Amino acid sequence: MQPDAPSFSLTGKVVVQCGGSGLLGRALVTSTAAAGATLIVASRDRAKIEAQIASAASPERKIHAEHVDIGDEASIQALRDRVLAAHGRIDGVVFNAVSRPMRTMNDDLSAWKDSMATNATGFFAVVRALGDAMAQGAGGSIVNIGSMQGMIGMNPWLYEGTTMTAPPDYFFHKGGMLNLTRYLASHYGPKKVRVNVVSPGGIFNPEKPQATAFLERYAKTTMLGRMADAAEISGAVVFLLSDASTYITGANLPVDGGYTAK
Amino acid sequence: MKSWHSLAGKTIWVTGGAGYLGSAITTALDAEAGKVICFDLAGRAESFVREQKLQRTVPLTFDVSDSSAVPGLVEATIAEHGAPDGLVHLAFASSAGKRLEQLATADFQRTLDLTLAPAFVLCRAVAERMRPRGCGSIVLFSSMYGVVAPDPRIYQDPMVPNPIDYGAAKAAILQMSRYFSIHYGPAGVRFNCVTPGPFPNPGIQKTQPGFIADLSKKTALNRVGGNAEIVGPTLFLLGDGASFVTGHSLVVDGGWTAW
Repeated sequence: MQPDAPSFSLTGKVVVQCGGSGLLGRALVTSTAAAGATLIVASRDRAKIEAQIASAASPERKIHAEHVDIGDEASIQALRDRVLAAHGRIDGVVFNAVSRPMRTMNDDLSAWKDSMATNATGFFAVVRALGDAMAQGAGGSIVNIGSMQGMIGMNPWLYEGTTMTAPPDYFFHKGGMLNLTRYLASHYGPKKVRVNVVSPGGIFNPEKPQATAFLERYAKTTMLGRMADAAEISGAVVFLLSDASTYITGANLPVDGGYTAK
Repeated sequence: MKSWHSLAGKTIWVTGGAGYLGSAITTALDAEAGKVICFDLAGRAESFVREQKLQRTVPLTFDVSDSSAVPGLVEATIAEHGAPDGLVHLAFASSAGKRLEQLATADFQRTLDLTLAPAFVLCRAVAERMRPRGCGSIVLFSSMYGVVAPDPRIYQDPMVPNPIDYGAAKAAILQMSRYFSIHYGPAGVRFNCVTPGPFPNPGIQKTQPGFIADLSKKTALNRVGGNAEIVGPTLFLLGDGASFVTGHSLVVDGGWTAW
Protein backbone atom coordinates (compact mmCIF):
# COMPACT_ATOMS: atom_id res chain seq x y z
CA MET A 1 0.00 0.00 0.00
CA GLN A 2 1.54 3.25 -1.11
CA PRO A 3 0.76 6.52 0.63
CA ASP A 4 -1.47 9.13 -0.92
CA ALA A 5 0.15 12.04 -2.69
CA PRO A 6 1.06 14.78 -0.22
CA SER A 7 -1.33 17.61 0.28
CA PHE A 8 0.02 21.11 -0.12
CA SER A 9 -3.53 22.34 0.44
CA LEU A 10 -4.43 24.41 3.51
CA THR A 11 -8.16 23.85 3.08
CA GLY A 12 -9.86 23.54 6.46
CA LYS A 13 -6.91 25.06 8.33
CA VAL A 14 -7.13 28.23 10.42
CA VAL A 15 -3.93 30.25 10.08
CA VAL A 16 -2.98 33.40 12.00
CA GLN A 17 -0.45 35.68 10.31
CA CYS A 18 1.17 38.53 12.24
CA GLY A 19 2.35 41.32 9.97
CA GLY A 20 0.67 41.45 6.60
CA SER A 21 0.97 44.90 5.08
CA GLY A 22 4.56 44.92 3.82
CA LEU A 23 5.87 43.64 0.51
CA LEU A 24 6.38 40.10 1.77
CA GLY A 25 3.38 40.13 4.12
CA ARG A 26 0.99 40.89 1.27
CA ALA A 27 2.44 38.09 -0.87
CA LEU A 28 2.06 35.68 2.05
CA VAL A 29 -1.57 36.71 2.59
CA THR A 30 -2.35 36.03 -1.07
CA SER A 31 -0.67 32.62 -1.21
CA THR A 32 -1.90 31.31 2.14
CA ALA A 33 -5.48 32.29 1.33
CA ALA A 34 -5.15 30.89 -2.20
CA ALA A 35 -3.99 27.58 -0.71
CA GLY A 36 -7.39 27.37 0.99
CA ALA A 37 -6.73 28.50 4.57
CA THR A 38 -9.05 30.59 6.66
CA LEU A 39 -6.56 33.37 7.25
CA ILE A 40 -6.56 35.84 10.12
CA VAL A 41 -4.19 38.72 9.46
CA ALA A 42 -3.32 40.42 12.73
CA SER A 43 -1.82 43.86 12.67
CA ARG A 44 -1.47 47.00 14.75
CA ASP A 45 -3.25 48.83 11.93
CA ARG A 46 -6.38 46.81 11.33
CA ALA A 47 -7.92 49.38 8.98
CA LYS A 48 -4.95 49.13 6.64
CA ILE A 49 -5.34 45.35 6.47
CA GLU A 50 -9.11 45.73 5.94
CA ALA A 51 -8.51 47.98 2.95
CA GLN A 52 -5.89 45.62 1.56
CA ILE A 53 -8.23 42.61 1.89
CA ALA A 54 -11.07 44.54 0.23
CA SER A 55 -8.96 45.30 -2.81
CA ALA A 56 -7.81 41.68 -3.09
CA ALA A 57 -11.17 40.15 -2.21
CA SER A 58 -12.50 37.12 -3.99
CA PRO A 59 -15.45 35.08 -2.75
CA GLU A 60 -13.54 31.84 -2.18
CA ARG A 61 -10.77 33.46 -0.14
CA LYS A 62 -11.45 33.61 3.57
CA ILE A 63 -9.37 36.47 4.96
CA HIS A 64 -10.14 38.33 8.18
CA ALA A 65 -8.38 41.34 9.68
CA GLU A 66 -7.78 41.51 13.42
CA HIS A 67 -6.11 44.05 15.64
CA VAL A 68 -3.10 43.14 17.77
CA ASP A 69 -0.42 45.07 19.58
CA ILE A 70 2.38 42.57 19.93
CA GLY A 71 4.13 44.80 22.42
CA ASP A 72 1.25 44.00 24.79
CA GLU A 73 0.74 40.42 25.98
CA ALA A 74 -2.89 41.05 26.95
CA SER A 75 -3.60 42.18 23.39
CA ILE A 76 -2.02 38.95 22.03
CA GLN A 77 -4.07 36.81 24.42
CA ALA A 78 -7.22 38.67 23.40
CA LEU A 79 -6.41 38.00 19.73
CA ARG A 80 -5.97 34.30 20.51
CA ASP A 81 -9.30 34.21 22.36
CA ARG A 82 -11.17 35.99 19.55
CA VAL A 83 -9.75 33.61 16.93
CA LEU A 84 -10.65 30.55 19.00
CA ALA A 85 -14.15 31.92 19.65
CA ALA A 86 -14.77 32.69 15.99
CA HIS A 87 -13.07 29.71 14.34
CA GLY A 88 -12.77 27.10 17.09
CA ARG A 89 -9.14 26.26 16.44
CA ILE A 90 -5.74 27.42 15.27
CA ASP A 91 -3.73 25.18 12.91
CA GLY A 92 -0.99 27.49 11.77
CA VAL A 93 0.90 30.65 12.66
CA VAL A 94 3.05 32.81 10.39
CA PHE A 95 5.16 35.26 12.35
CA ASN A 96 6.04 37.99 9.85
CA ALA A 97 5.77 41.07 12.07
CA VAL A 98 8.91 43.13 12.25
CA SER A 99 9.91 46.52 13.55
CA ARG A 100 12.87 48.26 11.92
CA PRO A 101 13.52 51.60 13.60
CA MET A 102 17.29 51.19 13.58
CA ARG A 103 19.52 52.01 10.60
CA THR A 104 23.16 52.06 11.60
CA MET A 105 25.66 51.14 14.31
CA ASN A 106 25.60 54.71 15.62
CA ASP A 107 21.86 55.05 16.21
CA ASP A 108 20.60 55.88 19.68
CA LEU A 109 20.04 52.88 21.94
CA SER A 110 16.38 53.83 22.15
CA ALA A 111 16.01 52.50 18.59
CA TRP A 112 17.52 49.17 19.70
CA LYS A 113 15.15 48.96 22.68
CA ASP A 114 12.24 49.85 20.46
CA SER A 115 12.79 47.01 18.00
CA MET A 116 13.47 44.53 20.81
CA ALA A 117 9.92 45.08 22.03
CA THR A 118 8.50 43.71 18.78
CA ASN A 119 11.17 41.47 17.28
CA ALA A 120 12.28 39.70 20.45
CA THR A 121 9.76 40.11 23.29
CA GLY A 122 6.72 40.40 21.04
CA PHE A 123 7.86 37.47 18.90
CA PHE A 124 8.23 35.25 21.95
CA ALA A 125 4.90 36.36 23.40
CA VAL A 126 3.07 35.56 20.15
CA VAL A 127 4.58 32.12 19.54
CA ARG A 128 4.04 31.15 23.19
CA ALA A 129 0.40 32.23 23.30
CA LEU A 130 -0.55 30.74 19.94
CA GLY A 131 1.78 27.74 20.30
CA ASP A 132 0.14 26.86 23.63
CA ALA A 133 -3.29 27.14 22.02
CA MET A 134 -2.28 24.72 19.24
CA ALA A 135 -0.59 22.37 21.75
CA GLN A 136 -3.84 22.22 23.72
CA GLY A 137 -5.70 21.53 20.49
CA ALA A 138 -4.80 19.11 17.71
CA GLY A 139 -1.30 20.49 17.06
CA GLY A 140 -0.23 22.69 14.19
CA SER A 141 2.61 24.45 12.45
CA ILE A 142 4.44 27.68 13.26
CA VAL A 143 6.43 29.32 10.46
CA ASN A 144 8.71 32.13 11.57
CA ILE A 145 9.91 34.53 8.92
CA GLY A 146 13.62 34.95 9.53
CA SER A 147 16.24 36.22 7.15
CA MET A 148 19.54 35.09 5.71
CA GLN A 149 20.80 38.00 7.83
CA GLY A 150 20.06 35.75 10.80
CA MET A 151 22.48 33.18 9.35
CA ILE A 152 25.48 35.17 8.10
CA GLY A 153 27.23 38.44 8.77
CA MET A 154 26.88 41.78 7.05
CA ASN A 155 28.54 42.46 3.69
CA PRO A 156 29.30 46.21 3.56
CA TRP A 157 30.44 45.96 -0.07
CA LEU A 158 26.82 45.53 -1.13
CA TYR A 159 25.83 48.93 0.22
CA GLU A 160 28.80 51.05 -0.87
CA GLY A 161 27.83 54.27 -2.61
CA THR A 162 24.14 53.92 -1.72
CA THR A 163 22.02 55.24 1.14
CA MET A 164 21.16 51.66 2.11
CA THR A 165 22.30 50.22 5.43
CA ALA A 166 22.29 46.90 7.24
CA PRO A 167 20.85 47.54 10.73
CA PRO A 168 22.71 45.57 13.45
CA ASP A 169 19.62 44.80 15.53
CA TYR A 170 18.08 42.87 12.63
CA PHE A 171 21.00 40.41 12.58
CA PHE A 172 20.56 39.89 16.32
CA HIS A 173 16.80 39.35 16.13
CA LYS A 174 16.80 36.99 13.16
CA GLY A 175 19.73 34.99 14.53
CA GLY A 176 17.88 34.67 17.82
CA MET A 177 14.69 33.69 16.05
CA LEU A 178 16.54 30.84 14.35
CA ASN A 179 17.72 29.24 17.54
CA LEU A 180 14.58 29.97 19.54
CA THR A 181 12.76 28.10 16.77
CA ARG A 182 14.84 25.02 17.57
CA TYR A 183 14.00 25.40 21.26
CA LEU A 184 10.31 25.72 20.46
CA ALA A 185 10.47 22.68 18.16
CA SER A 186 11.75 20.60 21.09
CA HIS A 187 9.26 22.09 23.51
CA TYR A 188 6.19 21.65 21.35
CA GLY A 189 7.20 18.52 19.36
CA PRO A 190 5.47 16.01 21.65
CA LYS A 191 2.28 18.08 21.37
CA LYS A 192 2.40 17.83 17.57
CA VAL A 193 3.22 21.47 17.00
CA ARG A 194 5.98 21.88 14.41
CA VAL A 195 8.13 25.03 14.42
CA ASN A 196 10.34 26.07 11.50
CA VAL A 197 11.99 29.16 10.01
CA VAL A 198 11.89 30.40 6.44
CA SER A 199 14.94 32.61 5.81
CA PRO A 200 14.46 34.80 2.76
CA GLY A 201 17.31 36.45 0.94
CA GLY A 202 16.93 39.99 -0.39
CA ILE A 203 13.54 40.67 -1.96
CA PHE A 204 13.22 42.98 -4.94
CA ASN A 205 10.83 45.86 -4.34
CA PRO A 206 9.06 46.70 -7.60
CA GLU A 207 7.28 49.68 -6.04
CA LYS A 208 10.42 51.27 -4.67
CA PRO A 209 13.37 49.57 -6.36
CA GLN A 210 16.65 49.26 -4.49
CA ALA A 211 19.64 51.33 -5.70
CA THR A 212 20.94 50.14 -9.06
CA ALA A 213 24.48 49.74 -7.76
CA PHE A 214 23.17 47.53 -4.96
CA LEU A 215 21.02 45.44 -7.33
CA GLU A 216 23.95 44.81 -9.65
CA ARG A 217 26.26 43.78 -6.83
CA TYR A 218 23.64 41.74 -5.01
CA ALA A 219 22.75 39.75 -8.15
CA LYS A 220 26.34 38.52 -8.32
CA THR A 221 26.19 37.14 -4.78
CA THR A 222 23.33 34.72 -5.48
CA MET A 223 23.61 31.60 -7.59
CA LEU A 224 20.50 32.51 -9.53
CA GLY A 225 21.83 35.97 -10.33
CA ARG A 226 18.93 38.03 -8.98
CA MET A 227 16.92 39.09 -5.93
CA ALA A 228 13.80 37.14 -4.98
CA ASP A 229 10.28 38.07 -5.95
CA ALA A 230 8.12 38.29 -2.83
CA ALA A 231 5.85 35.58 -4.24
CA GLU A 232 8.79 33.17 -4.35
CA ILE A 233 8.99 33.11 -0.55
CA SER A 234 5.40 32.02 -0.19
CA GLY A 235 5.82 28.51 -1.64
CA ALA A 236 8.15 27.61 1.23
CA VAL A 237 5.73 29.06 3.80
CA VAL A 238 2.67 27.24 2.43
CA PHE A 239 4.71 24.01 2.26
CA LEU A 240 5.74 24.27 5.92
CA LEU A 241 2.17 25.11 7.01
CA SER A 242 0.78 22.15 5.07
CA ASP A 243 0.60 18.42 5.75
CA ALA A 244 3.23 17.91 3.03
CA SER A 245 5.88 18.66 5.69
CA THR A 246 4.67 16.65 8.71
CA TYR A 247 8.16 15.35 9.60
CA ILE A 248 9.93 18.70 9.31
CA THR A 249 10.47 20.57 12.57
CA GLY A 250 13.26 22.71 14.01
CA ALA A 251 14.46 23.32 10.46
CA ASN A 252 15.61 26.41 8.63
CA LEU A 253 14.56 26.75 5.01
CA PRO A 254 16.51 29.52 3.25
CA VAL A 255 14.88 30.97 0.14
CA ASP A 256 17.87 32.97 -0.95
CA GLY A 257 18.81 31.80 -4.42
CA GLY A 258 21.81 30.02 -2.91
CA TYR A 259 23.31 33.11 -1.23
CA THR A 260 24.15 31.23 1.99
CA ALA A 261 25.15 27.96 0.31
CA LYS A 262 28.33 29.34 -1.19
CA MET B 1 -4.15 28.61 -13.28
CA LYS B 2 -1.69 25.90 -12.30
CA SER B 3 -1.07 25.64 -8.57
CA TRP B 4 2.36 26.67 -7.32
CA HIS B 5 3.43 23.12 -6.61
CA SER B 6 2.13 21.58 -9.83
CA LEU B 7 4.34 19.15 -11.72
CA ALA B 8 1.73 18.62 -14.43
CA GLY B 9 3.27 17.79 -17.78
CA LYS B 10 6.78 17.48 -16.40
CA THR B 11 9.12 14.54 -16.89
CA ILE B 12 10.79 13.43 -13.67
CA TRP B 13 13.43 10.76 -13.20
CA VAL B 14 13.80 8.89 -9.91
CA THR B 15 16.79 6.64 -9.25
CA GLY B 16 16.23 4.07 -6.53
CA GLY B 17 12.59 4.70 -7.33
CA ALA B 18 11.35 1.33 -6.12
CA GLY B 19 12.98 1.37 -2.66
CA TYR B 20 11.27 2.27 0.63
CA LEU B 21 11.53 6.05 0.22
CA GLY B 22 11.67 5.96 -3.59
CA SER B 23 8.46 3.98 -3.99
CA ALA B 24 6.45 6.62 -2.13
CA ILE B 25 7.99 9.37 -4.27
CA THR B 26 7.48 7.49 -7.55
CA THR B 27 3.87 6.70 -6.72
CA ALA B 28 3.09 10.33 -5.89
CA LEU B 29 4.84 11.53 -9.05
CA ASP B 30 2.90 9.02 -11.13
CA ALA B 31 -0.25 10.86 -10.04
CA GLU B 32 1.17 14.40 -10.40
CA ALA B 33 3.76 14.51 -13.17
CA GLY B 34 3.47 14.02 -16.92
CA LYS B 35 5.93 11.15 -17.12
CA VAL B 36 8.09 9.37 -14.55
CA ILE B 37 11.18 7.27 -15.23
CA CYS B 38 11.73 4.88 -12.33
CA PHE B 39 15.31 3.57 -12.24
CA ASP B 40 16.22 0.70 -9.97
CA LEU B 41 18.11 -2.58 -9.90
CA ALA B 42 17.34 -5.06 -12.67
CA GLY B 43 13.76 -6.33 -12.37
CA ARG B 44 12.96 -4.27 -9.29
CA ALA B 45 11.55 -1.22 -11.07
CA GLU B 46 9.51 -3.38 -13.48
CA SER B 47 7.80 -5.41 -10.77
CA PHE B 48 7.15 -2.29 -8.68
CA VAL B 49 5.50 -0.45 -11.59
CA ARG B 50 3.47 -3.55 -12.47
CA GLU B 51 2.32 -4.29 -8.92
CA GLN B 52 1.36 -0.70 -8.18
CA LYS B 53 -0.33 -0.42 -11.58
CA LEU B 54 1.43 2.88 -12.23
CA GLN B 55 0.09 4.60 -15.33
CA ARG B 56 2.71 7.16 -16.31
CA THR B 57 5.86 5.51 -15.01
CA VAL B 58 8.45 3.78 -17.17
CA PRO B 59 10.68 1.28 -15.32
CA LEU B 60 14.36 1.17 -16.30
CA THR B 61 17.45 -0.54 -14.90
CA PHE B 62 20.13 1.56 -13.22
CA ASP B 63 23.29 -0.15 -12.04
CA VAL B 64 25.52 2.00 -9.84
CA SER B 65 28.43 -0.43 -10.12
CA ASP B 66 29.39 0.87 -13.57
CA SER B 67 29.72 4.65 -13.66
CA SER B 68 31.13 4.56 -17.17
CA ALA B 69 27.75 3.33 -18.43
CA VAL B 70 25.83 6.24 -16.88
CA PRO B 71 26.30 8.86 -19.65
CA GLY B 72 25.13 6.32 -22.26
CA LEU B 73 22.09 5.49 -20.14
CA VAL B 74 21.24 9.19 -19.79
CA GLU B 75 21.52 9.74 -23.56
CA ALA B 76 19.49 6.64 -24.43
CA THR B 77 16.77 7.59 -21.96
CA ILE B 78 16.58 11.17 -23.29
CA ALA B 79 16.46 9.86 -26.87
CA GLU B 80 13.44 7.75 -26.04
CA HIS B 81 11.62 9.82 -23.41
CA GLY B 82 12.88 13.39 -23.78
CA ALA B 83 15.01 15.45 -21.41
CA PRO B 84 13.91 15.47 -17.77
CA ASP B 85 12.56 18.55 -15.99
CA GLY B 86 13.56 17.03 -12.69
CA LEU B 87 15.80 14.33 -11.27
CA VAL B 88 15.56 12.69 -7.84
CA HIS B 89 18.73 10.74 -7.11
CA LEU B 90 18.06 8.27 -4.32
CA ALA B 91 20.04 5.25 -5.48
CA PHE B 92 22.72 4.49 -2.92
CA ALA B 93 24.82 1.35 -2.62
CA SER B 94 24.57 -0.19 0.80
CA SER B 95 27.61 -0.03 3.01
CA ALA B 96 29.44 -3.16 4.08
CA GLY B 97 27.76 -2.57 7.44
CA LYS B 98 30.82 -3.53 9.44
CA ARG B 99 32.04 -2.19 12.76
CA LEU B 100 34.60 0.56 12.45
CA GLU B 101 37.37 -1.71 13.75
CA GLN B 102 36.56 -4.39 11.16
CA LEU B 103 36.04 -2.12 8.18
CA ALA B 104 38.72 -2.84 5.57
CA THR B 105 40.10 -0.10 3.35
CA ALA B 106 38.57 -1.95 0.42
CA ASP B 107 35.13 -1.88 2.09
CA PHE B 108 35.38 1.86 2.60
CA GLN B 109 36.57 2.41 -0.94
CA ARG B 110 33.76 0.27 -2.33
CA THR B 111 31.08 2.39 -0.68
CA LEU B 112 32.60 5.60 -2.01
CA ASP B 113 33.00 4.13 -5.51
CA LEU B 114 29.42 2.92 -5.66
CA THR B 115 27.86 6.12 -4.31
CA LEU B 116 29.88 9.21 -5.16
CA ALA B 117 31.07 8.45 -8.68
CA PRO B 118 27.60 7.47 -9.99
CA ALA B 119 26.00 10.52 -8.33
CA PHE B 120 28.61 12.83 -9.84
CA VAL B 121 28.45 11.36 -13.33
CA LEU B 122 24.65 11.16 -13.38
CA CYS B 123 24.06 14.69 -12.05
CA ARG B 124 26.58 16.22 -14.41
CA ALA B 125 25.18 14.40 -17.45
CA VAL B 126 21.59 15.37 -16.61
CA ALA B 127 22.45 18.97 -15.69
CA GLU B 128 24.33 19.39 -18.97
CA ARG B 129 21.17 18.36 -20.82
CA MET B 130 19.08 20.75 -18.68
CA ARG B 131 21.47 23.65 -19.29
CA PRO B 132 20.37 24.46 -22.87
CA ARG B 133 16.73 24.48 -21.73
CA GLY B 134 17.57 27.03 -19.00
CA CYS B 135 15.74 25.21 -16.23
CA GLY B 136 15.65 22.04 -14.18
CA SER B 137 15.62 20.82 -10.60
CA ILE B 138 17.84 18.08 -9.22
CA VAL B 139 17.20 16.63 -5.77
CA LEU B 140 19.91 14.56 -4.11
CA PHE B 141 19.50 12.55 -0.93
CA SER B 142 21.85 12.97 2.01
CA SER B 143 21.13 11.79 5.57
CA MET B 144 21.15 13.08 9.14
CA TYR B 145 24.22 10.82 9.42
CA GLY B 146 25.91 12.99 6.83
CA VAL B 147 25.39 15.89 9.26
CA VAL B 148 25.71 14.38 12.75
CA ALA B 149 27.35 11.17 13.99
CA PRO B 150 25.22 8.24 15.12
CA ASP B 151 24.81 7.80 18.87
CA PRO B 152 26.35 4.34 19.55
CA ARG B 153 24.18 3.94 22.67
CA ILE B 154 21.06 3.28 20.63
CA TYR B 155 22.70 0.52 18.59
CA GLN B 156 22.67 -2.48 20.90
CA ASP B 157 24.56 -5.64 20.15
CA PRO B 158 24.39 -7.31 17.63
CA MET B 159 23.39 -4.11 15.81
CA VAL B 160 26.26 -2.19 14.28
CA PRO B 161 26.12 1.61 14.59
CA ASN B 162 25.38 3.27 11.30
CA PRO B 163 28.77 2.85 9.56
CA ILE B 164 31.36 5.53 8.90
CA ASP B 165 31.56 4.87 5.16
CA TYR B 166 27.82 5.55 4.89
CA GLY B 167 28.04 8.83 6.80
CA ALA B 168 31.12 10.02 4.95
CA ALA B 169 29.47 9.32 1.58
CA LYS B 170 26.25 11.08 2.62
CA ALA B 171 28.22 14.12 3.80
CA ALA B 172 29.97 14.15 0.43
CA ILE B 173 26.63 14.07 -1.39
CA LEU B 174 25.59 17.17 0.55
CA GLN B 175 28.68 19.06 -0.48
CA MET B 176 28.41 17.81 -4.06
CA SER B 177 24.89 19.25 -4.16
CA ARG B 178 26.14 22.67 -3.00
CA TYR B 179 29.01 22.63 -5.48
CA PHE B 180 26.70 21.73 -8.35
CA SER B 181 24.22 24.43 -7.30
CA ILE B 182 26.92 27.10 -7.72
CA HIS B 183 28.13 25.71 -10.99
CA TYR B 184 24.73 25.33 -12.64
CA GLY B 185 22.84 28.19 -10.91
CA PRO B 186 23.48 30.70 -13.72
CA ALA B 187 22.06 28.14 -16.16
CA GLY B 188 18.80 28.03 -14.16
CA VAL B 189 19.37 24.49 -12.89
CA ARG B 190 18.68 24.17 -9.16
CA PHE B 191 20.33 21.57 -6.91
CA ASN B 192 19.13 20.73 -3.42
CA CYS B 193 19.43 17.89 -0.94
CA VAL B 194 16.74 16.22 1.10
CA THR B 195 18.37 15.20 4.37
CA PRO B 196 16.17 12.59 6.04
CA GLY B 197 16.21 11.68 9.71
CA PRO B 198 15.08 8.25 10.94
CA PHE B 199 12.99 6.48 8.31
CA PRO B 200 13.46 2.80 9.22
CA ASN B 201 11.87 0.43 6.73
CA PRO B 202 8.78 -1.59 7.69
CA GLY B 203 10.87 -4.70 8.39
CA ILE B 204 12.89 -2.92 11.08
CA GLN B 205 9.77 -1.22 12.41
CA LYS B 206 8.16 -4.64 12.89
CA THR B 207 11.08 -6.58 14.32
CA GLN B 208 12.92 -4.00 16.44
CA PRO B 209 10.47 -2.08 18.63
CA GLY B 210 13.17 -1.18 21.16
CA PHE B 211 15.32 0.40 18.48
CA ILE B 212 12.32 2.30 17.10
CA ALA B 213 11.60 3.66 20.60
CA ASP B 214 15.25 4.75 20.95
CA LEU B 215 15.19 6.47 17.56
CA SER B 216 11.93 8.20 18.44
CA LYS B 217 13.37 9.64 21.65
CA LYS B 218 16.04 11.45 19.67
CA THR B 219 13.49 13.49 17.71
CA ALA B 220 11.44 16.47 18.85
CA LEU B 221 8.28 14.82 17.48
CA ASN B 222 9.03 11.63 19.45
CA ARG B 223 8.45 9.31 16.52
CA VAL B 224 10.16 7.97 13.42
CA GLY B 225 9.16 9.15 9.95
CA GLY B 226 7.04 7.22 7.47
CA ASN B 227 7.87 7.19 3.75
CA ALA B 228 4.79 9.30 2.92
CA GLU B 229 6.49 12.13 4.81
CA ILE B 230 9.47 12.31 2.44
CA VAL B 231 7.20 12.91 -0.56
CA GLY B 232 6.11 16.50 0.18
CA PRO B 233 9.65 17.83 0.71
CA THR B 234 10.86 16.15 -2.50
CA LEU B 235 7.96 17.41 -4.62
CA PHE B 236 8.35 20.89 -3.12
CA LEU B 237 12.00 21.07 -4.22
CA LEU B 238 11.18 19.71 -7.68
CA GLY B 239 8.44 22.24 -8.35
CA ASP B 240 8.24 25.93 -9.14
CA GLY B 241 7.18 26.71 -5.56
CA ALA B 242 10.88 26.38 -4.79
CA SER B 243 12.09 28.47 -7.74
CA PHE B 244 14.42 30.53 -5.51
CA VAL B 245 15.65 27.61 -3.39
CA THR B 246 19.01 26.21 -4.42
CA GLY B 247 22.10 24.83 -2.69
CA HIS B 248 20.01 23.91 0.34
CA SER B 249 19.85 20.88 2.59
CA LEU B 250 16.18 20.41 3.51
CA VAL B 251 16.23 18.50 6.76
CA VAL B 252 13.28 16.14 7.24
CA ASP B 253 14.17 14.63 10.58
CA GLY B 254 11.42 15.35 13.10
CA GLY B 255 13.88 17.70 14.81
CA TRP B 256 16.73 15.14 15.27
CA THR B 257 19.46 17.65 14.37
CA ALA B 258 17.76 20.72 15.91
CA TRP B 259 18.72 19.97 19.53
